[in-house]
Amino acid sequence: MYRFTSISAILLASFTLILTSCDKDDPIIPNEEELITTVNYTLTPTPDNGSGVVVLSFIDLDGDGGNDPVIVGGTLQANSQYTGSLELLNEAESPAENITEEIQEEDEDHQFFFESTVEGLQVSYSDMDDDGKPVGLSTVLTTGAPASGVLTIILKHEPMKSAAGVADGDVTNAQGETDIQVNIPVDVQ
Amino acid sequence: MYSKVLQWGLILLIPFFCQLLTAQDCDIIVQGRVVDEASQLPLSYVNVYLQETGDGAATDDDGQFSFSGVCSGHYHMIFSHIGCEDYKIHIDLEKDTVININLGHTETSLGTVVIQGQKNNVGTQPNLSVNRKKIEDSNNQNLSGLIENEAGVHLIKNGSGISKPVVQGMYGNRLTILNNGVAQSGQQWGNDHSPEIDPFAADNITIIKGASAIEYNGGNLGSVILVEPKRISREPHLHGQVNYSYETNGRGNNINARLEKYSSKLAWRLNGTLRKYGDRSTADYFLNNTGLQEANLALQLEKSWNENLFIDFYASTFNNKLGVLRGAHVSSPDEIQQAFSQSIPFFTEPNFSYGVDAPRQHVTHQLVKLKAKYYKSPKAIIELVLAGQLNDREEFDIRRSGRSDIPALSLKQYTFNTELTFTKYFDSEWKFKTGNQNIITDNTNNPDTGILPLIPDYISWESGWFATLSKKIKSTQIKSGLRFDYENQKALTISNTIPKEIVRYNNQFFNVSGLLAIEVDITDKQSVSINTGLSMRNPEVNELYSNGLHQGVSGIEEGDINLKSELAHKNTLEYKWLPSPSFSVSALGYHQRFKDYIYLSPQDEIRPTIRGSFPVFKYEQTDANIYGFDFATQFTINDAFVGLLKYSYLKGDDVKNDVPLVFMPPISFYGSLVYATHGPIKISSLVKLDNLEFEVNSKYVFQQTHLLAEQDFAPTPDAYSLLGFKVSTNILYTSLKLRLFLKADNVLNVRYRDYLNRQRYFADDVGASYTIGVNIKF
Repeated sequence: MYRFTSISAILLASFTLILTSCDKDDPIIPNEEELITTVNYTLTPTPDNGSGVVVLSFIDLDGDGGNDPVIVGGTLQANSQYTGSLELLNEAESPAENITEEIQEEDEDHQFFFESTVEGLQVSYSDMDDDGKPVGLSTVLTTGAPASGVLTIILKHEPMKSAAGVADGDVTNAQGETDIQVNIPVDVQ
Repeated sequence: MYSKVLQWGLILLIPFFCQLLTAQDCDIIVQGRVVDEASQLPLSYVNVYLQETGDGAATDDDGQFSFSGVCSGHYHMIFSHIGCEDYKIHIDLEKDTVININLGHTETSLGTVVIQGQKNNVGTQPNLSVNRKKIEDSNNQNLSGLIENEAGVHLIKNGSGISKPVVQGMYGNRLTILNNGVAQSGQQWGNDHSPEIDPFAADNITIIKGASAIEYNGGNLGSVILVEPKRISREPHLHGQVNYSYETNGRGNNINARLEKYSSKLAWRLNGTLRKYGDRSTADYFLNNTGLQEANLALQLEKSWNENLFIDFYASTFNNKLGVLRGAHVSSPDEIQQAFSQSIPFFTEPNFSYGVDAPRQHVTHQLVKLKAKYYKSPKAIIELVLAGQLNDREEFDIRRSGRSDIPALSLKQYTFNTELTFTKYFDSEWKFKTGNQNIITDNTNNPDTGILPLIPDYISWESGWFATLSKKIKSTQIKSGLRFDYENQKALTISNTIPKEIVRYNNQFFNVSGLLAIEVDITDKQSVSINTGLSMRNPEVNELYSNGLHQGVSGIEEGDINLKSELAHKNTLEYKWLPSPSFSVSALGYHQRFKDYIYLSPQDEIRPTIRGSFPVFKYEQTDANIYGFDFATQFTINDAFVGLLKYSYLKGDDVKNDVPLVFMPPISFYGSLVYATHGPIKISSLVKLDNLEFEVNSKYVFQQTHLLAEQDFAPTPDAYSLLGFKVSTNILYTSLKLRLFLKADNVLNVRYRDYLNRQRYFADDVGASYTIGVNIKF
C-alpha cells in the first residue's frame, strides 16, 4: 500500500507540473478569406431618367453570429428599367477582399437567382459563362406599377445550370449549395 | 471478466499412466469430457477435432469423447459447438491423456449474459459481449455495426460509413468507450464522428450497462463499451489467421491478417486490416460519394518478467477516409425541405464509383499503451497503465476557388492517460479496489482552414479517484463504490466581435458518483440483481463554447458558458434464468433520472445570415427521464436449432417542459434461428465440412412516435423490417482448416429510413447486400 501511494503521488506531482507548465498559446485567428460579408446590388436607371443610382445592400461584418446584419433597401421608379450590377465583398479583411472576382473566375459553378414579392418587378440576366449559361453578376431590372415588397437574391454554388428552368432564373431545380440568400426591402413608386 | 473460458486455468491435464513411452509410439489414447461452464452440465454434440491428424469426434450424452491410436508429438485440438466460439488448445502428447474442458456455452456468445465465470472477480453489472467468432464472421462491419443487434444497443448513423453506438439512450459525451483499457479520445461531441477503432484487433467487445461503470473514467453515465484483445495464447508456435470478405453493396473488400507467437521471453501479436468500399446503394439508386478507405495496424507485446510482474504493450494506428453523401450536404433550411420532398437525392448519378470527394472526412488515430500488472501477493494486485493518443480529424467541404482541398475543420487532439489501481482480496470474500485516473487533453484547431472553428482550442485535465468494495455472503453479492472527479478546462475562444478577440475561460468542476449493487442467486439457476447509481458529468467544451453554423445540421449552434454539471440517478433491475445449457432468459429494466440534463434545444429564433435564415439551437439544461427495458432469450431445440430473441424498449421525456426527448432510439426487435448439423460431413476422403450452420435473422424497428411534430424538420420514418440469411461452415482439408461464410442482408431489398440515421432527411438506407467471407487459421 505504501508503494501504491508513493507511485500515485509521483504521478500526480508530474501531472500537476505538466499542466501548470503548459498553458496554451493564443490560437491564430483564421483568415476567413472565403467569407462574404457584403452584397451590393447597384441599380442604374437606363436610360438615365435623372432619378439617380440606387444601391441595395446587405452587410453582416461579424459573420453568422453576433450583431444582426445591416440591410439597406431602396426606392425605385415605377415602369422603369435599371442596369443591375452585383458586388460581393469580404469586409472583415482589410483592405476588403473582392469576392466578385472569385465568382467571375468560377462562373460555370455559380449562378444568382432573383425572386421578388413586388408585383411587376422582374430581373433578367445580361451576362453568361463560357457555356452560354447565365451568371447574374450583370442584370436588367424592370419595374411595373407602384408596389412594395422584398427582393431575394440567392447565389448558388455548383448549381445544375442545365436543369429545367434554371437558365431562366428559376431556382427550383438548381440544387447546389447556397452561398448567399438575402432579403432586401424594395419600394416601387 | 470476459471469457474466463479461454483461460488455461480451466484445463486439467491429468496423466493417466506413468509409464514412459518412446517418441514413436502410436497407441496413445486421448479422451476427455466437455461441460458447460455456467451450469457445469455435460455438453453433447461438441465437435472435437485433432488438427494434425485430421481426425474428428463428437461428444456423447455425457460430454465424453475419445481418440485412440494417436502418435506422440505436438497437437492442436479444436472444440466447436453450436452457438459457441471455437476453442483451441495445444497439447504435447507423450502418454495417454485426459482433457476436461469448460466451454463457455450460452453466455459469451449470445449476449444473454448469465452469471459469469468466477463470481468473485465479477461485478454485479449486467453486460453483453461480442466474441471473436462474431467479429470474424462480420468482417465487413465496423465497431458499431458489430454490436448493433445487441439488446439495448442502437446506432446513430450519418450515412452508411459513419456510426456511433447508443447504449440505453446514452451516446457521445455520455458513453465511454475503452479501447484496450484506455478511454478512447477523439471528438466524442460530434454525432457525425465514428469511434476510431479497428474491431478486428479485438477479441471481445463487452457492453456494461449497469451502474458499476464507476471504475471507468470518461464521464460515462452508467454505460461503458470495452474493446479488448485477449491475451496471447501460450502456444510456442507461430499462429495466425487471414480473413477476407467481399460485399456486393458498395463492392467492398475487407482483408485482415493476424500473426502471433508466444515465448516466455516475449509474446507478440500483429494485426492489420485494409478496407475499401465504393458507393453504397439503396433499393433504387446509388448513394454517391459514400465510399470508404481504411488501413489499420496494431502490435501487442506481452512479457512476464517473473511470476509476479506482467507487462503488456499495445500500439495501434487507425487511418480512414470516408465520403459523405453529396446530396446530404445542404446549406440552408429551404434546401432541407426541398431535399426531403425529393424521392431521389440531389446529385444522384447512375454510375458506381470508388471515389471519395468532398464532403469527406479524413481521420487518423494513434494509440500507444503500456500496462504493468504486479502481483504483490496472489491477493494484492497493482496495475499501472500509461497511454498516449493522437486524434487528427479533417473534414472537407464543398468550397469555392479550389478550397475543397483545404479542410473546413481540422483538429489535432493529444491525450495522455494514466491509471493506477490496487486490488486486494481479503479473507471471507471481501474485495477492495481503488484507483486513480488522469487524462490530459490538448485540442488545437488548424487556422489554415480559413473558417472560424466550431470547437475552440482547449486543454483539460481530468483526475478521478474511485474505490469499490464487494463482499459475497452465501448466495448474495454486494458491491458498493464511490468516485470523485475533478476537471479543469482552459478554453481559448474567438469572439465574434469586430475586431475578433481571444477570450480565455478557466473552469473547474468537482463531480461525485456512487453506486450500490446487490445480486442474489435465488436458486442455482436464477438470479436477480439490483443496481442503483448516482453519477455526475460536467459540461464538455462543445456544450459550453460551440458557436457558429453547423452546416451538416443546418442550424446555428450556441454553447452556454453558464452550464453546470448534470446529475443522473440510474436504477436497474435484472433477472436472469438459466434452467439448462439449452435455455436462458435475461430481462433488464432501467430508469435514469437526470437533473440539469444538457441538450441542444431549438430556439424560437430564426437568425438572418448572408447565407439565408437559420434556426438557432442552444445548449440548455432541463430535467429528464429515460427508462426502458431490454430482453433477451436463447433456446436450443434438439441440439440442432438455436433460437435467439432480443427486444429493446426505451422512452425519454423532458419532464420540465413536458415534451419528449429528441433523438431517442425507437423500439426494436431482433430474432434469429440457427440450424447446425452434427459432426463432420464427409465430402471426399480429403475434404470434410464441420459446423455447417444455416441462419435466418430478422429485425423490426418501430416508428418513433414519442416525438412532437415541431421537434423535427420532417416526420419520423415509418417502421421497417429487414430479413437476413447466413450460411457458414468449416472446411477441413487434411490438416488445413478454412471457414467460409455467405451472408445476405436486407434480402428483400426493403426501402427504409432509420430515425437515428441523419442521412434520412435526404436518402433511403442501404438496400440488399451479399457478403462472402473466408477465414484461414494456421
